[in-house]
Amino acid sequence: MLQQSLLHSGFNYIGRACVRSSFSWWGMIHFGAVALVLALTPSTYDRCRRAAITRNIYASTWQVLFWFTVLCALISLVLIRIVVVTASSYGLSQYALEMVVRVLVLELIPLGAALFVVLRSGVLTSTSSAEASLHIEHVPRIVAIAFSVATLAAVSSAVALVLAYLVVYGLSPWGLAEYTHMIGRVFDPVVTLTFVLKTVWFSLAVALIPIASVLQAQKEAVRESNSAPQGTVRLFLVLALIEGLSLSARYI
Amino acid sequence: MQSEPKLGSSSHPPNIEFKVALLIIVMVLLMLGSLVYVMYARGVFESTQRVVLIADDSEGVIVGMDLTFSGFPIGRVQRVELSDEGKARIIIEVAREDAKWLRTSSVFTMERSMVGSTHLHVYSGVLADPPLPDGAVRAVLIGNAAAEIPQLVNTVHRLVENLQNMTKPDSSLNMSLNNLQTVTHNLTGPYGVLGVALGSDAHAKKVISTLDESKAAMIQVNTILGEVRTSLKGVDAVLVEAQAVGANARMATTDLAALREQVEMNLRKVDHLVDEVNRKWPLARDTELKLP
Repeated sequence: MLQQSLLHSGFNYIGRACVRSSFSWWGMIHFGAVALVLALTPSTYDRCRRAAITRNIYASTWQVLFWFTVLCALISLVLIRIVVVTASSYGLSQYALEMVVRVLVLELIPLGAALFVVLRSGVLTSTSSAEASLHIEHVPRIVAIAFSVATLAAVSSAVALVLAYLVVYGLSPWGLAEYTHMIGRVFDPVVTLTFVLKTVWFSLAVALIPIASVLQAQKEAVRESNSAPQGTVRLFLVLALIEGLSLSARYI
Repeated sequence: MQSEPKLGSSSHPPNIEFKVALLIIVMVLLMLGSLVYVMYARGVFESTQRVVLIADDSEGVIVGMDLTFSGFPIGRVQRVELSDEGKARIIIEVAREDAKWLRTSSVFTMERSMVGSTHLHVYSGVLADPPLPDGAVRAVLIGNAAAEIPQLVNTVHRLVENLQNMTKPDSSLNMSLNNLQTVTHNLTGPYGVLGVALGSDAHAKKVISTLDESKAAMIQVNTILGEVRTSLKGVDAVLVEAQAVGANARMATTDLAALREQVEMNLRKVDHLVDEVNRKWPLARDTELKLP
């Protein structure tokens, strides 16, 4: 009798948790959809909100672009050098550049940019209030963060591509044709589309999920200290899911 | 210290709109430039001609892989499809500027290595031949290193089996080694090589006793030869006398020649005398006898 009661209460608890989690995810998706619609609405970009977007882009992108690019270039340089030297030592130098592009540009840099923006923006612990207008306060921030992720990823990827060329060929222009051919071989339509979509989804996830989590937690009157870890977990889960899906689309 | 504008804050740094506009413009240019560069790298802007390669199977051939000439990529696989004959049709786009390397006598090969991807190559031995027309269909020669693995494994299997047979306790090699051991053991025995050569010590003993008997016989033969030598000395003396007789005979033969000359001279004198008698004798003129 006691066992049946425990089992029943356990199932109840799990069922309630599932329902609560489903509602939570649905609320987040709903928030994202509303925010996206607002972001794509021309009236969002009137003079007042344009100023807010400008301030947010300045803070989230302009102020970090240089240092993030320098940091990314240093890490890329080390990784490129390691891959090229290792591949050459095994007689596989013809695959080194392709591997660098596939690993660094297509995988690591977009993920690094997304994580960097998450940590830099500090939205996980922000004091966003549920009462603040979505249209006035949150949408400019979402647009700015999404733009930041895309810009950091694009600029760092371009810098990494240039560095890869310089590490392998030096300043000689005679490797340009071969390098361009390799780029064309790597960036086939599927890979290019997957790369673009992955970056866009990273941007949206980083921009939407933390704010949605904070707002949801405040609405549900949960202590704010719990909302940040929950948002972080959800964000990392979604980022891992997007990364896994992109890998599946590309290599499976 | 300059305060950093926090997200959503209302602070307004100088030239913020210009900076953000510059950022957006750079971003747009970067995106457009990347797009154009990738399209250029993919050969979207270059004129191409088509080559269709027919292969027995398309394993390892993927869309986008290169067709190389002398190590340089000149074409790219656009599509791989199954023909009505059940063979793989590999459709390759070759840039017009590189199509000059394709001739009617060109040979297309597909190499599959154990490590790395499949490679498509074209070899043009005679560049003076007519150029390959657009849409030409050619058979591709397949060189497959991996296909030789089963044969190699089979050979190795047979080799290992032979080795196992050779190393069995009752194998001929083992028996030979045992025999060799016996031989080496016999070599170190009292009769050594002789015992090994004759098969047993008893035979070697017989041979040695025979040799001893032969030695005694040789001594006897030597004695007999000494006696023969003495006899031959007597024969030598006889021969010396015979040589003296021969010398005398040779001298006599020399005198005989002088004697013969004298006899011949005397005979010529007698002949001359007879001729003289015949001349002086009257009846001698009419030598013919007439009968009545």
